[in-house]
Amino acid sequence: MVDISIADATVEQIIANQKGLVAIGAGLAVGLSGIASGIAEKDIGAAAVGAMAEREELFAKGLILTVIPETIVIFGLVIAILLIFM
Amino acid sequence: MAFFIKRGSKKYPYITARVRAMKSKLMPREVYPKLMNMDIAEITRFIEESEYKENVDELAQQYNDIDLFEHALNQNLARTYRKLQRISRDEPNYLITEYLRHWDIWNIKTILRGKNYGADLEEILDTVVAAGQLGYRQLTEIAGMNSIEDIKAALDLTPYYPVIEDYDGAMLSDVENNLDKLYYSRLLASLGSTKAEKLSLKFIRTEIDIKNLKTLFRTKKADLDKTIIFELLIPGGIEIKTADLNKLASLQWSDFLKALEDYSYWSELSDVVSAEMDSLKDMEAVLDKYALAFASKISHYYPLSILPIFDYMLNKELEVRNIRTIVRGKEAQLADETIRKQLVI
Repeated sequence: MVDISIADATVEQIIANQKGLVAIGAGLAVGLSGIASGIAEKDIGAAAVGAMAEREELFAKGLILTVIPETIVIFGLVIAILLIFM
Repeated sequence: MAFFIKRGSKKYPYITARVRAMKSKLMPREVYPKLMNMDIAEITRFIEESEYKENVDELAQQYNDIDLFEHALNQNLARTYRKLQRISRDEPNYLITEYLRHWDIWNIKTILRGKNYGADLEEILDTVVAAGQLGYRQLTEIAGMNSIEDIKAALDLTPYYPVIEDYDGAMLSDVENNLDKLYYSRLLASLGSTKAEKLSLKFIRTEIDIKNLKTLFRTKKADLDKTIIFELLIPGGIEIKTADLNKLASLQWSDFLKALEDYSYWSELSDVVSAEMDSLKDMEAVLDKYALAFASKISHYYPLSILPIFDYMLNKELEVRNIRTIVRGKEAQLADETIRKQLVI
C-alpha cells in the first residue's frame, strides 16, 4: 500500500480520493435502503400471498401494498444519484 | 417437544393474513335473521350455495335432511381446522395443534357417552368432529367397537390413555372431568414464555374462567354438594383462581350471585342473572358472546400473533353451532324468539 499523506498529495489525488468516498456513500445509500425495504417487504409479501390464497381478488391490493416499502430504496437511489452527479 | 419448535413472530404474517381472509368468508351476522325466516328446505338451499357446498355435495348421497346438515357442518369444521394445521408452520402450528386437542377430548367423550347409553354408530358419528389428532376413520373404527376394553386399547398410544385407563363403564362423569382437566393442564403446561405463548395463555385462561362459570351456575342451580362442584371445576382461570373457585363452590345460590359481582364478568351477566332465574340458557349465550368479543378484541391488539387464529377458530365453531341451532330449532318447531336467544352473534 502506498502511504500518501494529505500534505504531499496532489490535487488530482485528493479529488480521486473524495470521489471514492462519494461512491462508497452512494453504494451504502442504495445497499442499506435496499436491505431495509427487503425486510419490510418480506412480511407484507407473505401476508399478501396468504390473503390472496383465500381471495384471489386481493391480488391487486396485495401487490400495491407489497411494493409500498419500495419507496425506501427509491429514496436511497435518489440520494445516490444526487451524490454521484452533483 | 416444545423445545424444538422455532419461536418468534417470523411465521405469523402469512398465516394471520390468510386466516383473516378466511374469517371474511364466514357468514355475516345479518344472515342469521334471514335464516330465521326460512324453512328447512330453504336453509338447505342457502347452505348448498355457501362455503359448505362442497361438504353438502359430498355427503348428499349418504345422508338426508337434518343428518346431512349435521355431517356437512361437522365435516366442514373438521376440514377447516385441519387446513389451519396444514398451512401453518413451527410455532403457530404447534399452538394450533395443542388447542385442537379439545376436539379429541370432545370425540372421546362423545364415543364413551354414546356407548354408555347404547347409542348406535350413526348417532355417535353425527356428533363427532374429526379436527384433532384422531382422524375420522380412526374415530369411526373406535366408535364401532363394542367393548370398553377395545376402545381403551385403541387409545393406548394417545396422551389421553392415563385418564381412561381405569374406566370400567361406571362413573363416566369422572372420566369426562379428568379429560377436561388433562386437556387444560397439558395446554397450560405446553405454553412457554414467548410473547405469543403468553397471549395464548391469556385467551385460554379466560376460556377456562368462562367454562368454570357455566359449570358453577349449572351445579349451583342443581344444588350439588360443595366437594362435587369443586371436582368439576378446572384450575387455571385468569380471574377466578383456585381459591376463588373454592369459595364460590361453597356459597349458597344468592350469596354466589352476590360474590360474582366482584368479577369483571358481572357486567355481562348482570342483565340476565337473577335469584329467580329458571333457565340458564341466556347466561350461557351471554358468556359465549363475551368470549367471542374478548377474542376479537385481543386479536386486534396483537395482529401478528396466534390470537387472530384462535379468534377465527372460535368464530367458525360458533357459526357452525348457530346454523345447527337454527336448523334444530326449526325442526323442533321452537318459537323464533327462543331460537334467537340461543344464537351467539
